[in-house]
Amino acid sequence: MPAPSPSSPSSPPSASLLPAALRRRGWSRVFYWGLALAAVIGAAIATVLDPLPDYGVLLDHWFDPARWEPEGFTAMLRPILWLLVWLGVVAVAALLWSWLLRRQVTQRTRQLLRELNERRQVEVALRESEARFRDVTEAASDWIWEMNEHLRFTYLSERFYALTGIAPDHVLGRARWEIGVADSTFEREQWRQHQEQLEQHLPFRDFVYQTRLNGNYNAGRYLKVSGKPIYDVQGRFLGYRGTGTDITEQIRAETALQESELRLRRIIDLVPHMIFAKDRNGRFLLANRATAKALGATVDALVQRPHPIVHSVAEETERMLADDREVIDSGVPKLIAEETFTDHAGQTRTLQTIKIPFIEPGLNETAVLGVAIDITEQKRAKEEVARMRLYLKNIIDSMPSVLIGVDPWGYITVLNQPAEQAGGMSWEAAQGRFFGDVFPQLEGQFEQVRQAIRLGRPIKTPRMTLDIQGELHYADVMVYPLMADSASGAVIRMDDITARVRIESMMVQTEKMLSVGGLAAGMAHEINNPLGAILQGSQNILRRVAPDMPQNRAVADAIGIDLDRVHRYLQQRQVLRFLEGIREAGARAAKIVADMLSFSRRSESRFAMANLEELLETVLRLAASDYDLKKKYDFKRIAIERDYDPALRFVSCDKTEIEQVILNLLKNAAQAMAEEGTSAPVITLRTRREPEHALIEVVDNGPGMDDKTLKRIFEPFFTTKDVGAGTGLGLSVSYFIITEQHNGRLSVMSKPGQGARFSIRLPLGQEAPP
Amino acid sequence: MTDWVLIVDDEAMIRENLKAYLEDEGWRVAAFESVAPALGWLRDGDPCRVCIMDMRLPDMDGNSAIRALRQTYPNMEFLIHTGSSNYSLPEDLRAMGLDDSRIYHKPLADMAPLAAAARRLAARGDWP
Repeated sequence: MPAPSPSSPSSPPSASLLPAALRRRGWSRVFYWGLALAAVIGAAIATVLDPLPDYGVLLDHWFDPARWEPEGFTAMLRPILWLLVWLGVVAVAALLWSWLLRRQVTQRTRQLLRELNERRQVEVALRESEARFRDVTEAASDWIWEMNEHLRFTYLSERFYALTGIAPDHVLGRARWEIGVADSTFEREQWRQHQEQLEQHLPFRDFVYQTRLNGNYNAGRYLKVSGKPIYDVQGRFLGYRGTGTDITEQIRAETALQESELRLRRIIDLVPHMIFAKDRNGRFLLANRATAKALGATVDALVQRPHPIVHSVAEETERMLADDREVIDSGVPKLIAEETFTDHAGQTRTLQTIKIPFIEPGLNETAVLGVAIDITEQKRAKEEVARMRLYLKNIIDSMPSVLIGVDPWGYITVLNQPAEQAGGMSWEAAQGRFFGDVFPQLEGQFEQVRQAIRLGRPIKTPRMTLDIQGELHYADVMVYPLMADSASGAVIRMDDITARVRIESMMVQTEKMLSVGGLAAGMAHEINNPLGAILQGSQNILRRVAPDMPQNRAVADAIGIDLDRVHRYLQQRQVLRFLEGIREAGARAAKIVADMLSFSRRSESRFAMANLEELLETVLRLAASDYDLKKKYDFKRIAIERDYDPALRFVSCDKTEIEQVILNLLKNAAQAMAEEGTSAPVITLRTRREPEHALIEVVDNGPGMDDKTLKRIFEPFFTTKDVGAGTGLGLSVSYFIITEQHNGRLSVMSKPGQGARFSIRLPLGQEAPP
Repeated sequence: MTDWVLIVDDEAMIRENLKAYLEDEGWRVAAFESVAPALGWLRDGDPCRVCIMDMRLPDMDGNSAIRALRQTYPNMEFLIHTGSSNYSLPEDLRAMGLDDSRIYHKPLADMAPLAAAARRLAARGDWP
């Protein structure tokens, strides 16, 4: 027999089935088992003692009363055995019954237990649910409200105060519209509708209103309420019950978001650049006013429309969309430095666009965000700047001065063309290099550069001496500070004044000569008188020792001396020679005084119209008669070529002075050719009528001159001749006569071995004879 | 014909040399260092046809001397022998018939042209 379920020890099986005494003694089961065993043993003995031939039908035998025959001991035992058998059967039946009962009890117990469990679980669930509900109501942003049939608040859950900060006392007993704001027409209409709804006992959802009551933290809370009417079993209206939630923060957040969006909108609309966002298909997701304006649409009309529809220039649209796709596909921003864009008005603009990929929040796919800056004006300005730069460059290039722009540290920023030539380097190559490296001759100017910038005024270094390829040059160097607000620096200006310095030095010499002339004029009388005494005395002595003069002879005869012998004596003792020397020396001194006197300025009273050809012929005659053995030249050996311009006849000049100049030139030419031994000496006299000048040229084919000689040729006391052969004043006097007294020009061209050409230009101004 | 030449020059050696040269040429020469004794000599002495006049003189300048002499002796001819390089003839002297050819600048290396000029002037036909 199966034992009762061990899982339920609290309910013992068959407790109600067995006599309590038996159960108490604990042997009832043993008793039944004993009975059953006795029945089995009895049956067995009866079987053994009753030798029945047919065992197969034992029971039939046994239970067949007809065959019962009492026989000896066996026959005596038989009724006992049978009793035992019956007892055994009863015991077995009792056992069976007991088992059945017990099974039923177990089943029932199980059922009960199950029911009990279930009920317990339901209770737990209920408690949990209650707790959850409590938690939810306490934690959630909702509260529960109730109002009575007069639509006055009767109940508010605790959450109300927690959420709104409004004490329930302010609310309970009042109608909703009594605590709400109804300032605007819209609000009043809202309230009217709500009141109507409530009075008709209609359910409502999500009615939003603002309270007039102040909560803890701020004025006017925004509440959202839903409610349903409640009825009792008889269907009588009891009031409303519903939930409410404080959406102040949400509203504020929404308002803030709206404001922020508005602000953003304003900002991007304010930006003059085009700001836009497009999806993969070129549909505008965002566009600011500048974009809309450029495309000739409003912002609202633009958004959600594809690019090709609003922008009609297909070529540009395709290019832009291709860029968009490139950015979207690669995920890498792209800068389009310059692109053309034709706006709706048909004007072509130049844009600089940057496109970056971004995820459109609503779309969850990559779009492109772009900012396009209209650089049309910038570009034009840039071109203008470039043009202006070129213009300024041209201006500074056309300056003859060397101009070097440097920054405060001496690094080159600008060179003009003369500077490029002087430095032997282009602007581009020199830029950023230290100026002293490019212009070593100016290296010492760095101090001046710094000083000029510091003091804010130009600094001049006059007459700086420079060594340019072994030649002495003079330069004026000015350093000007640059005072532009952004870039400071300096400009170094260098002017080669070598030529000017030479002219100046010549002028200084001329001035000297003028003062010499003035001095000489003052002294001439005093010097000329003694010179006259010397020269005239010498002449008289020579005359009075000459034997062929009758007066001499008469005196000699009278005193009894032989004049011839005296003359011989004088010759042998070289007295005559000395006298001649005295005469010549006196003559030379007289010539120097005369030359020096030429330097004095004279009035133009001696100016007259002179026939140039006659004048030249006179000079040629004078030159021819100037044969001088000692000076070793013979003018007659020289071929004279005349090349006279028939259009030039009369020139206004001081005739004797011009004669003096030309004679001097002819003599110089003859002397030079004689010294050099020119084999076929030729002097060409040429006249030409120039627009404003009469040109007189004296050209020889002599040895010519080198540059050094040429540079100094008009300097006073400069001479290439031997000492005593010339005063060194001839050409400087000539120069003085032509330039100072005739306001003309005297120039020379020559190269060694190629002869020399002296050109005299006299102004034609007063050509017409009065 | 009178063969007197009057020389006025304050430089003794110039005076002496001119005198010597002209005397060798056959002239009679009266030489003075200033104008006043020359005027005195003219008043007392022989008529004189040619005068060689220096410009800077101790008692008066040569131009004034010429004017004064010309007033008294209208037929007297003048040669100017000056050491001043910038001497130019005043207009009134030009009006008297003098010109630049009468001017001889000192120093004279050769006195022959001066002597020749004196002879030419003395030989003029308008001599009374």
